[in-house]
Amino acid sequence: MKSLEQLTDPVFYIMAALAKPKHGYAVMSLVEETTNGAFVIGPATLYTIIKKLLAEELIVLHDASDSRRKVYVLTEKGRTVLEKDIERRKIMLTLAEKELTKGD
Amino acid sequence: MTKMKYMMSGGLAFSEQKDMQKLQKNAQKGWHLNSFATLGYNLEKKEAEDVQYSIDYRKLEKGEEEEYFELFSTAGWTHVCSSYEMHIFKASPNIKPIYTDVESNIDKIERLARPVNISTIFVALIAMLFWVIMTFTNSPFQQIGTWLFICSYVLLMPMLGMLVVLQYRKWIKKC
Repeated sequence: MKSLEQLTDPVFYIMAALAKPKHGYAVMSLVEETTNGAFVIGPATLYTIIKKLLAEELIVLHDASDSRRKVYVLTEKGRTVLEKDIERRKIMLTLAEKELTKGD
Repeated sequence: MTKMKYMMSGGLAFSEQKDMQKLQKNAQKGWHLNSFATLGYNLEKKEAEDVQYSIDYRKLEKGEEEEYFELFSTAGWTHVCSSYEMHIFKASPNIKPIYTDVESNIDKIERLARPVNISTIFVALIAMLFWVIMTFTNSPFQQIGTWLFICSYVLLMPMLGMLVVLQYRKWIKKC
């Protein structure tokens, strides 16, 4: 699971969206709305990543009563992995911001 | 009665993109994809329309189809037809692609390559077995072995070609 060692952007967005229970379409719309359409997750990409996250037990099926819109939620393991990646991304941002403001 | 026409596939391992573009061109002339056919597609005569086509490879277990097709349809992709583990969708040209990242796209090619890998290994083993029979036995086994070796060898070459092409497609995606 290469894309899960260091979370790729779509994996990061999907895991973040699933911190609260959601179905796939709600994940797509949340990401698209939040980024003003700058970041789009295609349906095949979303389905592939959901299956991967389930296999790695980073998310779990929360509610399957509507078979067309299954609801997933982040597991404890998923939460830990996401928090670690937030830290990684924070370091990137801090470095970039510091370097940009330095010395003028 | 609806008018139908056959369109040949260039082989999905080799020319998936070309196939999809050809389907789009046909739809612009009013020939719409209807179903998979042997080594190609059945097209049906309707109104001309500008639509893009995309194919996905995925084995769907029972209870997975509904969610899978629902995701595509909410994203603007209409399911057209399926055959085995292949699913074709259509959408108006302004709709975003079904794969939006490199990693999942590579996974898709790997799913397409898996049966090719397995059958290539299988045919290669058979070819080796016949080569052994051909080399180390006397007639009539030797003759039968020779013929069977040639047959499996002829079968093996295009399979190896497919393997190379799929590896290449994975490789260019990574760059």
